[in-house]
Amino acid sequence: MEPLQLITPGRRGARADSPNRPRIGIVKFASCDGCQLTLLDLEDELLAIADRVDLVEFAEATSRRSSGPFDVLFVEGSISTTEQVEEIARLRAVSHRLVTIGACATAGGIQAIRNWFELAEVHDTVYPDPTYVESLAQARPVSDFVAVDAELRGCPISPAQLREFLVAMVTGRRAQLPDEAVCIECKRRGVVCVAVADGIACLGPVTRTGCGAICPAYGRGCYGCFGPRESANTASLASWFSDSRSGPEVARLFSGFTAWSEPFRTTVDAHGGPPGQVELPEESHDA
Amino acid sequence: MVTAASSFLPRAEIGRLFDALSADGRRIIGPTVADGAVIYDELAAPADLPTGWETDTAPGSYRLRETGADRSFDYVLPVTSWKRYTHPAFVPLTRSRRDGAQVLVEPVADDPPQLAFVGVRACEIAALGIQERVMRAGPLGDADHVGRRTAALVVAVECAAATSTCFCTSMVTGPEVGGGADLVLAELDEGFVVRSGSPAGADLLATLDLRPAAPAEVERTTAQVAAVRAGIGEPVAAEGLPERLRAALDSPRWEQVAERCLACANCTLVCPTCFCTSVGVASDLDGLEASTQRQWDSCFSQGFGRVAGDANFRPKVKDRYRQWLTHKFSTWYDQFGSSGCVGCGRCVAWCPVGIDVREELAAIAPATAPRGPIPWPPAPAAGHAPAALAVVEPARHVAATITSVTPETADTVTFRLATTDPELLAARPGQFVMVELPAFAAPPISISRIRPDGLDLTIRSAGPATAAIIALGAGAQVALRGPLGRGWPVESAIGRDVLIVAGGVGLAPLRPVIEAVLAERPRFGAVRLFLGARTPADRLFVAEMNALAGRADLEVAEIVDRAGPEWLGQVGIVTHLFDQATWDGSRATAFICGPERMMQATASVLRGRGVDPKAIWVTLERNMACGVGTCGHCQLGPFFVCRDGPVFSIDELGTAFGREGL
Repeated sequence: MEPLQLITPGRRGARADSPNRPRIGIVKFASCDGCQLTLLDLEDELLAIADRVDLVEFAEATSRRSSGPFDVLFVEGSISTTEQVEEIARLRAVSHRLVTIGACATAGGIQAIRNWFELAEVHDTVYPDPTYVESLAQARPVSDFVAVDAELRGCPISPAQLREFLVAMVTGRRAQLPDEAVCIECKRRGVVCVAVADGIACLGPVTRTGCGAICPAYGRGCYGCFGPRESANTASLASWFSDSRSGPEVARLFSGFTAWSEPFRTTVDAHGGPPGQVELPEESHDA
Repeated sequence: MVTAASSFLPRAEIGRLFDALSADGRRIIGPTVADGAVIYDELAAPADLPTGWETDTAPGSYRLRETGADRSFDYVLPVTSWKRYTHPAFVPLTRSRRDGAQVLVEPVADDPPQLAFVGVRACEIAALGIQERVMRAGPLGDADHVGRRTAALVVAVECAAATSTCFCTSMVTGPEVGGGADLVLAELDEGFVVRSGSPAGADLLATLDLRPAAPAEVERTTAQVAAVRAGIGEPVAAEGLPERLRAALDSPRWEQVAERCLACANCTLVCPTCFCTSVGVASDLDGLEASTQRQWDSCFSQGFGRVAGDANFRPKVKDRYRQWLTHKFSTWYDQFGSSGCVGCGRCVAWCPVGIDVREELAAIAPATAPRGPIPWPPAPAAGHAPAALAVVEPARHVAATITSVTPETADTVTFRLATTDPELLAARPGQFVMVELPAFAAPPISISRIRPDGLDLTIRSAGPATAAIIALGAGAQVALRGPLGRGWPVESAIGRDVLIVAGGVGLAPLRPVIEAVLAERPRFGAVRLFLGARTPADRLFVAEMNALAGRADLEVAEIVDRAGPEWLGQVGIVTHLFDQATWDGSRATAFICGPERMMQATASVLRGRGVDPKAIWVTLERNMACGVGTCGHCQLGPFFVCRDGPVFSIDELGTAFGREGL
């Protein structure tokens, strides 16, 4: 996806008193708010960022509300109800650029695992009295409904990537958001490969990096929260896993926070999905 | 090969060796157990060594095994290679600043750490040597690498064990330690037979004041390493491998291995000789202060082959696997005079799906396979010397002020830049510069005019960096790095006819050729200039070209792909301008620049008209980043486009010209 190129050179360095600051909104659908809160994690530069953009809609941080228009709208969460379908279409119409943030918005999130099951069955499992629950049959990524200009992956998104995206936006350069495997970051950091040295199932080779290879650095396998990387060869990795694991175990490995995104989804199906039929043994070494 | 001049260090006294190594403040880096593997890390004392540990490896598997033995070096290879210390994963390159119109780009250089590498195996010594040849292949070498390597002391250890993934014997790098070490240890149960391999090592050994090793001790160490050699055998048929691989570029096996290959890049990152890097840019919120650092990258990632406009030279995994394997085992010889593989087997063990390079080589280029015909000449042909290379320091940036801006087309402008820098002013036609604006990745831009007081650069907006650069006005500065690359061999056309064929913005790097030829017009035969453009609005340097068309001593023909109402000239592709011509091409030298397909079509028509392939020159677009052949992005077969080109004769390129996925 082409990274955002928004700000014309005339807007470079616009400050709070400038009418040219980009109008930014942050909204959410079905999600936990964790990705939005990542903005607040940019503590050291938060005020400076707030000086350079006009934050007109961000319920977690300001009582200002806006229904648009937005230069850039950050969208968290999957689309899971009929109201959300209407709302995302309205927001798209008033947003110059729409950027999805996090596994829910970009891939459907953990709640998309229900997409493999009958809705009624899930209702009855989760809610003692599901009378007032109104959901779509599936929880789906925003890009299934409207055009998306850029995405930030992860569960939650990485503060470093969010910062990079914002800086690139206000300076007019291309954001450096790598699309290659977690392995590259892992090896740069000097982390010992948990797959090869411990036989731990790790989705790093098929998962987009950007997280800093956090999980392998703590001695556990990557569970794919950034979703598939470019050229993700899940068939080969799943076949390698299958040498020592059952089909449902392999399916379970691919059904994490981004299970509904291709090619993870077809890999789940090819190995005896739906997901969640087995408990996985704890796989980690004492880091 | 431990000689009679060896000394003996009792096991209990190995601490004395550590003390001697660190006596002048040097830090000791060596093997230690961490996270289920042996890694290289800083060692505080001999107790940190992996004493009593062995390693079992297989394709896709690495396991530590505790033996309880007293021996410290019976593990085989750590995950990490020494490149973590000689070519680190992250190296700061520059700090830059914009202050009003002014631009300042400064190199960042730290003093290299003083390190002693302990436990270096024969294959790893070979890897250090290969890496040094790669990083010194440029004019001054990579300063960071040279500094680190020069500051390091190498304490080698003879292998007393091998693992199933070892194949140093095939690559002729081990297991016996030859030269390249300061000290060489060979481990016995009771201690170490030690010999020096350099004056520094001899001095160090003298301070230890050891007794001579007994002949029996030396013999036992020789027997150990001989057993290792016998155990490994000869797993790869290396004889003739480069030529067999060159002949196997269309093997069906590339497709098959790509079905298994994850393109995760682990093989390249654990490889002790893979050197490819990319540059990351960081900046403050306003893009006024920025820094760049280079970081390990890999030909296996999709972004590695990507250029402006999102074209990609290696879109498929099979292209990337082929690039890696043929580079490592074949074109590495062309570039650096040796194999790029030392047979350490790391790529086999650390492949998450256990792809075994030995098996792939046997399938792709079996020992019985024919060795030709080869797709390109065995080494870069010396058509003309890469003269300008000798003077360019990779990190040297020169601020140049834009004195005027001339719009050329809707998306292209020409900057007139003032500089007094003698190296920039000595640029040759066809060379390029990296143009840096703080906070943006620097694009390579070819020089469109070389003046006594500066350079002209003609820049098309192809992405955010070029867009930001062309938005600058007169008075602003950019930082230039260069001149880089090998330019057009204008002198080779003296006494011959000259054909210049340009497509669109491809006229920019050819304009210095036109000017050089016209400056000494009587020394050349007929001069013919053929200009193509997508539409009349995409023509460059219109007034200048019109003026040239009025001259009697050269022929100018123009054509556009799509005409507008105002266009009365010819319509079609540029080769239409001469495919019916009657001139004889055998006395001509051709200079061509445009989109790769246009250059292929032009070269093909010119060959048909009798122009010698050695006299047909093209300039290639690739992802040129470092500009001096050390980052690997612009690799094309045996060439680095930035350093060996960007200008090549089609004879030099052979079938690499226009071949997909290289």
